Amino acid sequence: MRAFWRTAKHYWRIHLIVALCTAIATGVLSGALIVGDSMRGSLRSITLERLGSIQYGVIADHFFQPEIVTRQNMVQAIMLNGTVVAAETDSRASKVNIYGVNNAFFDFWDVKVVPDLTKLTNQPFAEIIINEALQKELNVKVGDAVLLNLPQATEIHSEFLLGTRDTNDVIQRLRVIVNDIIPTANAGRFSIQPHQSLPLNVYISLPILQKAIGQTDKVNALFTADTEPLSSNTLELTIEGLGLNIVSNENHFDLQSQQYLIEPTLSEIALKVTSENNIPILPTFTYLANSISHVDSPQEESTRKLVQVPYSTILALPFESGEFSELITRSTTEVEKHLYLQVQQQEIKRRESREGEEFKKIGQELQRISNEKADRQYVESRKTNTPEFRKKKAEMDNALAEVNRKLKGFSSTNTQHLPIVLNKWTADDLGVKVGDKIKITYFSVNAEEEYITEAAYFILKAVVPIEGIAADTDLIPSFPGIHDTTNLSDWDPPFPFEYSKVRSKDETYWDEYKSTPKAFITLDMGKRLWKNRFGDLTSLRMGAAPGMDIDATQSLFETEFLKRIEPEQIGFQFLSLQEEGLKASTGSTDFGMLFSSLSIFIILAAATLVSAIFAIGATQRSREIGILQAVGFKLAQIRRRFLFEGILIATIGSLFGCLLAMGYAQLMIYGLKTWWLPAIGTPFINLHISGWSVLIGILVTLFVVTFFIRQVVKRLGKAPTAALLAGETDFDEVSRKPKSESANSSINRTTNLILGFVFGMLAGYYLISEGWFGFLFVLIFNAIVIASVFLIYRSKFGSFLTDRLGPSVFSHQSNTDNRFKIVWWVLTLGLGIGTALGFFGTILIFSMDGSHIYETIEGVVQHPIFRLLGSALGILGTGWLIFDRWLGSQRVPKRLNHIRFGLKNAAWQPMNSQSSVIIMSFACCIIVAVGINRHDAMPETEYAFVAESSLPIHHSLNTPDGRLELGFDEEGSQLLAKSEIYSFRVLPGEDVSCLNLYKPEKPQILGAPNSMLYDDPWHYLQQDFKQERRIHAIGDAKSLQWILHHDPKVDFPIQDEFGNTISLRLETVENSIFQSQIIISETDFKTYYPSQSGYQYFLIKTPPELQADTQHTLEKALEEYGLDVTSASERLASFRAVENTYISTFQSLGGLGVLLGTFGLAMVLFRNIIERRRELATLRAYGFRRKLLFNMLFLESGFLLAVGMLIGIVAGIVAILGSQGHLPPFPWLSLSITLLLIFGFGIIANSIAVVVALRSPLLSTLKSE
Amino acid sequence: MQESVNRTHQLKTSNLSKDFGDVEVLRNISFSFDAGSSVAITGPSGSGKSTLLHIIGTIEEPTKGRIEINGTDPFQLSEPELARYRNSVIGFVFQDHHLLPQYSVLENVLIPTLAFKQKHDVTTMAHDLLKRVGLTHRISHRPAELSGGERQRVAIARALINRPSILLCDEPTGNLDSTTAGNIADLLFEMHRVENNILIVVTHNLELASRFQNNLRLADGVCSVATKNKNPTVG
Repeated sequence: MRAFWRTAKHYWRIHLIVALCTAIATGVLSGALIVGDSMRGSLRSITLERLGSIQYGVIADHFFQPEIVTRQNMVQAIMLNGTVVAAETDSRASKVNIYGVNNAFFDFWDVKVVPDLTKLTNQPFAEIIINEALQKELNVKVGDAVLLNLPQATEIHSEFLLGTRDTNDVIQRLRVIVNDIIPTANAGRFSIQPHQSLPLNVYISLPILQKAIGQTDKVNALFTADTEPLSSNTLELTIEGLGLNIVSNENHFDLQSQQYLIEPTLSEIALKVTSENNIPILPTFTYLANSISHVDSPQEESTRKLVQVPYSTILALPFESGEFSELITRSTTEVEKHLYLQVQQQEIKRRESREGEEFKKIGQELQRISNEKADRQYVESRKTNTPEFRKKKAEMDNALAEVNRKLKGFSSTNTQHLPIVLNKWTADDLGVKVGDKIKITYFSVNAEEEYITEAAYFILKAVVPIEGIAADTDLIPSFPGIHDTTNLSDWDPPFPFEYSKVRSKDETYWDEYKSTPKAFITLDMGKRLWKNRFGDLTSLRMGAAPGMDIDATQSLFETEFLKRIEPEQIGFQFLSLQEEGLKASTGSTDFGMLFSSLSIFIILAAATLVSAIFAIGATQRSREIGILQAVGFKLAQIRRRFLFEGILIATIGSLFGCLLAMGYAQLMIYGLKTWWLPAIGTPFINLHISGWSVLIGILVTLFVVTFFIRQVVKRLGKAPTAALLAGETDFDEVSRKPKSESANSSINRTTNLILGFVFGMLAGYYLISEGWFGFLFVLIFNAIVIASVFLIYRSKFGSFLTDRLGPSVFSHQSNTDNRFKIVWWVLTLGLGIGTALGFFGTILIFSMDGSHIYETIEGVVQHPIFRLLGSALGILGTGWLIFDRWLGSQRVPKRLNHIRFGLKNAAWQPMNSQSSVIIMSFACCIIVAVGINRHDAMPETEYAFVAESSLPIHHSLNTPDGRLELGFDEEGSQLLAKSEIYSFRVLPGEDVSCLNLYKPEKPQILGAPNSMLYDDPWHYLQQDFKQERRIHAIGDAKSLQWILHHDPKVDFPIQDEFGNTISLRLETVENSIFQSQIIISETDFKTYYPSQSGYQYFLIKTPPELQADTQHTLEKALEEYGLDVTSASERLASFRAVENTYISTFQSLGGLGVLLGTFGLAMVLFRNIIERRRELATLRAYGFRRKLLFNMLFLESGFLLAVGMLIGIVAGIVAILGSQGHLPPFPWLSLSITLLLIFGFGIIANSIAVVVALRSPLLSTLKSE
Repeated sequence: MQESVNRTHQLKTSNLSKDFGDVEVLRNISFSFDAGSSVAITGPSGSGKSTLLHIIGTIEEPTKGRIEINGTDPFQLSEPELARYRNSVIGFVFQDHHLLPQYSVLENVLIPTLAFKQKHDVTTMAHDLLKRVGLTHRISHRPAELSGGERQRVAIARALINRPSILLCDEPTGNLDSTTAGNIADLLFEMHRVENNILIVVTHNLELASRFQNNLRLADGVCSVATKNKNPTVG
């Protein structure tokens, strides 16, 4: 140990540099890991802060009575999204979280000043508390008035016929006063969505909000701080809690829904329970007809003014049995029955033969469609399956769907679909008798949410008196806006209502019978006409089960029915908020690994420096090694001594590096908060240190540095003792004996064999995957490569290769004959054998049908990473090989000049030169490959804008009617008509783009409109799997890979609205604006998320000259919906900004590493020069001036730098070409600046090394001999 | 046997002295040699043999005295002039050959021609020299692939490529076995005869020294000269 300290003291400069380099490496690695700790720690802090002591929560997609949750200590809340407008300044904030809570909610946070929602300030308006983030957005102060725009809760789905869609009906406006502004921390940061950005929060008293949205005593969220998990068992469901009603009667009870239609899940369960318990059941479907009329013939329909019974209730119910069947039987004579059957038969024949005016019209439409299909253009485009073809096909499909929709009212030949029964009042009014044809018209809602009138034709089967079941209004659920009115003309339905059609006799009927059905059709036909995604039944009437009275039956039904319902099926979610939040805070991106990777160059450069400096130290101590050997020390002992020294110094450096790590981490965190802010979006990150990170940093650095030192130590003592004593070093590599002939031969043979194998493999692979064309392509490619090799061998320029190969393969002589032999040898033996092996091997593997090997190999070969690494390493390897061959070349020059002489100096220490080239080329390859992906230019998209609204919009922005409904004036509507707007449905979820640092679990889902599905790549969404709960979806490749960490080849599971798992078969898109979401088709969206209504995401194509006006018009008109219109390019740029920031970070740190590396290379050069002093002195003795020596050495170092960089740049470009198949727009500016800086710094560092090394007198070296 | 070249050179020193601090290595050394002279410098270790050789080779400056080669005092020249002078007038052969390991034999021979632009075809000359030293078959080889004798032959060829007036050899056979040493000595004398230059060799080998026309013996910083045929002027 004493010897160590003495040595350390003597060589303190060298040891200090070694320790410093190790400290840098430790500091950088530990620091990078600490950045990861800090990111995770900060995300965790945000999670703990935003949730306070909230552990679990129950949230629902509907409002419910909080009492159904049996657990104590539950805090009630209503969570809504909305917009807030400052009354005075008109400044607006959208996507605001509006929380209806009581003061108890704030107890979840242990803070000194608890917000108070009940603080009275003597003013008439309701009061709210806002957080500072919202205050900054709105620029309001305490006491200011603001307008809240909230979604109005409705029982009936907006998209159903009876649902309301008008702005005034779907948006609730509330004028409130700001009574407090709380910091955006603790309760002020509350959000159940994990995201690092600051939420915009409004807190309003729960009862006030409940009253405002008409949901008294109901909530949509409950939270608890209890640590006992919440589950479906904690929910005590009630019939009312499910939004259902049971109306009890003496002999039966009716199950109906507050939403008018009974949800399919619930009606299915109810039917199952009644079936299993033998409960008699009568399912019915009530709809509203616009008119009922008598039609003898279509001609009559068009020419004669028909009597029409307007706005009538129609009840669909089974005709076969039960009370209604009996009523029909009672009301019909045998003659009427016979007559009906006769007419029915005639009608079926007519329908089968497709006679009649209505069929004629449909026939013409079908003919038009089939003509279009036969059109040459269509047939031609079909062959290529172009977007044009798909568009045309979609149009025809729509036309066919329209035809089918029309047909459903009069095309069926099913005897169940023909009969209609009228009550006596209606039959009398129409003057019809059994056997007459009856037409009913009704509204339905099309895909664009427009009301369309449809018609259906029936045969009158019976006329029944208004009695019994035909007079039972209990079967008819309440029509909102209709049910409670005194007069028919007082109706206020959501659909278009023509008051002029209402006659006085209709008012009389309403006065007397209210909503008593005027017509009855079979349940089958009712479902055929009116079934939709919200349900196909409106009422379930149940009677007493055998052996039970009606009360007992009802009780049995309720118990069994509620028992079978899983809360998740009806939109309840039980969230482990704390646990899931903390899990998500591990982050989608491991910043520790990211920064470690980004800092890799600094670490490697520091290690290289350690190696170089340590070698210089060893060089200085050559005589010491010689003396130790001379006095009897074993070589292993000497090496151990040096290794021990090195490790001890490195350990000291590493410990010092811990301090450096804190500084480095602080610097990186500062960088993330300032220069690289786009990478994290919000400057939330703070320093968090884990002992493990520091320890890992120390251990890994010590391992790497020890490895490098060991490499140096291994070379110690290789020179003869006498030579060492004479001052020679162990690092004089050229003095080593050249490789033996056999060794060289073996290397050549192996190289050629590998080359051939790769060629053969490629040929085989392409033969299988691309056919003969691919095979031919590879053959031609191989031929070109082989010919190039041949030409290189033949050329004067490349004859050095033969000089290298010649002695190893044949003799010391190198001549043209030999070159031919060598080329022949390379071609035949190496490539031949290799190609044959590779080709047949690949064919064999690939021909194993069903074998996983095929898929595995194909997967590996096709994988971008493989292609990237393969291409990069291929070029790097080739470059290094050629350079190595060049270094070893012994070609006799025709003429020696300064340049060749200078360049050839690089061969003095081939290992050092090769190392320099490898390091530089590797670094430049990565910098180029990464830098090429930087997007300097503003990205271009085909869309002008992306718009998002806080509240769903239910009207089409593409139709004048829709725009009118949404409140656009004529001018605005005309302006918008010049844009193409694609409206997407939205399932709220987590942002899966790189803008979200948390690990998302439930991505936001978009439903893409059918109108864009004919285009690439959207048509993929139209493909049907014919497999339940498996659908196509599109996701951004980068989001899937880096944020969701999901292999696109594997189905992605999500949950539908009923708690079932759906498998998404993902197709990826690159660099899209859909990095935050996953997209499915609107059809699938409506199937799996039927209760999600309206559109909240829009893509807009607008001519450039109209963009500013369009943006203004849209935002102004849809202000209440909180529509934010942003440039699509800017949206894309915001994603790219994250990428660019990562790339900038990498380039900054990588560049720093490379600079450190070039400094290391300069040190190597310095060492070379010191070791070559005698050689240089000899040159001086032969008359070489100092300047000439400087030029030569400068040329040599510049040459190594240039060769390394050139190989790296080419490899980087080829790597990107290989992985992406094309070159992205080349960021000339940023990349050129980076590379020039590296080259410039390298040149400067090398020049300094040369100048310093040459400063001492050289000639004295000769004299000292 | 190749014909010798007719050349007229003169090396003249007067009162050359060299101190290293308090140690006086050379004291008032004066001599003069003409073209065709061969000189062996002998003496015990530390007697200043190599120092004298380096002063003649302009690698080292004398503390006192003057040296003239072909009438020019090289130490009066500027750095670039001295470099050119050294390149064209002096040829060095070192005991440890100092061949550049990364270059081939031919390249090593050609190295001195790179210091300044050459008018004549130096490559042909290099081939010719290598032929004369018997290394034609080794021109593409590197020093590491040569024997000790071969390396020294390359060094001799390199020293002669610019046809120097004075060929200085510092223990040229010191690291070689006696047979090889004899061959190298023969080669040196043969080349000297052909080039008709002034050959100065530092050696401990008395047998070798006895083959030189002049034997300059150094002891205690003073030299004495023994001459076989021609008598140089000694002061």
